[in-house]
Amino acid sequence: MASEPREDQSPAEEAGATTGVPRWVKIFAIIAVVVIVIVIVVAIVGDGHGPSRHSSPLKGGGVGQHGT
Amino acid sequence: VSPLARKLAFTAHVSFSVGWFGAVAAFLGLSIVGLTSQHEETVRGVYLVMEPAAWFVLIPLAIGSLVSGLVQGLVTPWGLARHYWVLAKLLINVFATTLLLVYMRTFSAMANVAADDQAELGTVRNISPVFHAALALVLLLAATVLAVYKPRGLTPYGQRRSQTRLARPVRR
Repeated sequence: MASEPREDQSPAEEAGATTGVPRWVKIFAIIAVVVIVIVIVVAIVGDGHGPSRHSSPLKGGGVGQHGT
Repeated sequence: VSPLARKLAFTAHVSFSVGWFGAVAAFLGLSIVGLTSQHEETVRGVYLVMEPAAWFVLIPLAIGSLVSGLVQGLVTPWGLARHYWVLAKLLINVFATTLLLVYMRTFSAMANVAADDQAELGTVRNISPVFHAALALVLLLAATVLAVYKPRGLTPYGQRRSQTRLARPVRR
């Protein structure tokens, strides 16, 4: 929100340039739906959103597991 | 609202939002250290510090970004639901803040495991924060791009408001 609409900007000009749903909004909506579905699926498959779910620890396979 | 108050609100919003992005980047770095460090104390320390750091840094910045964004929408001509890009930013912010609040349980559980001396290091290490921090960075980067580029597009509500303003007779 770095700048605001000009006070002298014509509403007709503003609306005329933006009639209909812009393509970027459609793409954004598709990506948003995909992300939300993934989050819901992960939450359901993992039985919720907690430590024993998709955040399962790296038992026996952690990178540099044998720390000193 | 005076121009000074507007500038102040805008400064607060930018500070909270950019600060949130930076804090998440730091968490991503911490997560990678937790996965890759060869030192047990370092690994345990990473997962122990994440929970309080999230409470004292991530959550205040997230809430601050959300609240200051709402204020921005209310005190500037942009509004909250007139432009698609403002609405998209708001949805991203609400989604990311909700995920963060839900994820606090995971931070707490990881800290408990890290504090357990009997827990093996492989059990302490956890890849989950890497995924979550990466997802949060993508979301916050998208919000930043929207704020900078401000792509055109009025919502149906914004179009109705615009038409109403057009129909209103101009007072001289």
